[in-house]
Amino acid sequence: MNGKPQRDPRVDQAAATDESLLDAHERLLGRHPDDGARYRLLPIGILFALSALVLFSGTYLNRYAGHYSASIYNENAKPSIGGAAAPKMDPLAVGEIQFKNVCITCHQAGGQGIPGTYPPLAGSEWVTGSPARAVRIVVYGLKGDVHVQGHLFNAAAMPVFGQQVTGSVYNWNDERIAAVLTYVRHAWGNNADPVSADDVTAIRKAVGDRREMTEAELEQVK
Amino acid sequence: MKDEVTAADSSSRAPLLVLLLAALAWLVAAGLLGLVASIQLHSPRFLSDCPVLTYGRMAALAETAFVYGWLANAGLALALWILGRLAGEPLRAQGWAVGGAVFWNLGVAAALGGVATGDATGFALLGLPAYVHMILLFSYSAIAVTGILSWSGRMRRVPYASQWYAAAALFTFPWILSIAHVMLFSAPARGVVQAVAAGWYAQCAWTLWLAPLGLSVAYYVVPRATGRVLPSYEFASLGFWCLVFVGGLTGGRHLLGGPVPAWIASVAVVSAALLLFHVLIVFLNLRGCFSGGGIALRFTAFGIAAYAVGALADAATSFHGVAAQTQFTYFDEAARQLALYGAVSTMLFGGIYFAVPRITGRAWFSAGLVRAHLLLTIGGILLLAGALCGAALVQGRDLADSAVAFAAIAHHTRPWLAAATAAQAILLLGNMALAMNFVGTACRILNVSEPASFNPPSAMEAHAP
Repeated sequence: MNGKPQRDPRVDQAAATDESLLDAHERLLGRHPDDGARYRLLPIGILFALSALVLFSGTYLNRYAGHYSASIYNENAKPSIGGAAAPKMDPLAVGEIQFKNVCITCHQAGGQGIPGTYPPLAGSEWVTGSPARAVRIVVYGLKGDVHVQGHLFNAAAMPVFGQQVTGSVYNWNDERIAAVLTYVRHAWGNNADPVSADDVTAIRKAVGDRREMTEAELEQVK
Repeated sequence: MKDEVTAADSSSRAPLLVLLLAALAWLVAAGLLGLVASIQLHSPRFLSDCPVLTYGRMAALAETAFVYGWLANAGLALALWILGRLAGEPLRAQGWAVGGAVFWNLGVAAALGGVATGDATGFALLGLPAYVHMILLFSYSAIAVTGILSWSGRMRRVPYASQWYAAAALFTFPWILSIAHVMLFSAPARGVVQAVAAGWYAQCAWTLWLAPLGLSVAYYVVPRATGRVLPSYEFASLGFWCLVFVGGLTGGRHLLGGPVPAWIASVAVVSAALLLFHVLIVFLNLRGCFSGGGIALRFTAFGIAAYAVGALADAATSFHGVAAQTQFTYFDEAARQLALYGAVSTMLFGGIYFAVPRITGRAWFSAGLVRAHLLLTIGGILLLAGALCGAALVQGRDLADSAVAFAAIAHHTRPWLAAATAAQAILLLGNMALAMNFVGTACRILNVSEPASFNPPSAMEAHAP
């Protein structure tokens, strides 16, 4: 029997030994595509097949993977260039979050402050009065004596919040400052007009970079 | 010239025969359970009075017995056998394999008991109750020890494709099961992440565990039976790594249109397409099996064809336009049967027909049963896949039409489901033929006077075609 398969279904004959199987295939692995000066078409075909699949995959993912965002559920969502536009948020909600994260430490949860140390925001004429003054206080900070509702406060300074202002520890953008001002001008019985981010930007641009405000300087602002 | 049956075969007998015997017992059991579940799909009153025998449990029982009973046992037996043959020495640490096999099958039996009493998890391909995971994990690892020792003691420094696939399968199951266990049971992920994890497991169980077991067998049987070097073998490793890297990412396509981030489904769609490269390489390598030959080659040829068709169908149905027709229909079931039965099982059948005469040193008990099994298997799978596809077409058409009542859809699919039941019965008959033949053959080991006659194989010619 020379490799001719015998057709007894009870015993499948082998046509090659294990050793020769291993030898023959090991020899193949080191072979170059143009071995023996024969040019073979198949390797090029396989390369093209793989390239075509990779090209398809890249194109498909670019179009339908939703930028791998965890919040895009519709694969047909148009991919936006340079990031999607930020969704519109309620400034009161944003302001409340900012207030509760930062301002609440000194001005307290009810906006009542701490007598003698931190001035109140609830019912404060500085808060509900001219928005131009309120914006300056938050953007540039406030140092020295300040009278609120007839009481003198001078134990602490209001920190600097503005963007690109020297000494600013928070570096809040104008939108955040507008949101937090809108919130404090509306909360705890206060009832003043909202402040827009454009107002903040305009004041910041007009005043430029400077150190903390004083009460006297603020009183000149109408 | 070395003898075809080596000392390595006869002294490795114990673990291999234990695994194969258990595999075939589970195969017949899974066939019975699957037949009952299939009848209940079109005749819901059948055996519906006892909770244990209702459709939900029957279907989960059939799936668990098939995957963890039949495929795992048979796949492990053949992986150990191939790794041992290519190591050229008897299996080492056989006690680990035998002990592992005993505990694995006790674990599977406990899992079936749990599923029957209502503890099935409800995840596809992972119906196993959480409390059997540990015993399955450790017993699988114990069996794998034997295989890994054969891998590290292999004859040649450069391993052959069968060895890559077999060794990979030995590692992947403990890996995916332990991750699924943590993500779904011990520290369950919340919300849709759970669906993503379950989908990942089900896909990996197929692409990274069961398919490599089948491919390992096919890569061994084809060149041994044809005596020819595999064409384009130098690309086989590309096909292997393509499967390893991309195979696990294709699970998300079942979540198409679901409440998961779009990229999960899109990556899966792309991976299903990239996996076609792996299938192309496998097909090019193993195309020699289609030129005919013995029983093992015919089973393998059918398995490779089913593997290729299944991969094409997976890639096609992962696209949104096609999925709109096929998702949530019997098509999923058809694809799964084509994969688990048509592809992996037939490759394993081929391996069993090739291996058992060498392991036992005896020819198969009956030539008639061998032929009957081949015919019944091929006929049964074609009928099963065809009938389920027919049911899926009817169902997909009707589901898209809001004027058709749900009960009417069930009524329209009945003839197709009845055909699927007939197919299950045919497959069961075939598998009973195999089990009887195996028991008959194993009993012949006791009869010293009837050794099988093997022709001494020649050396493989050095040059590729």
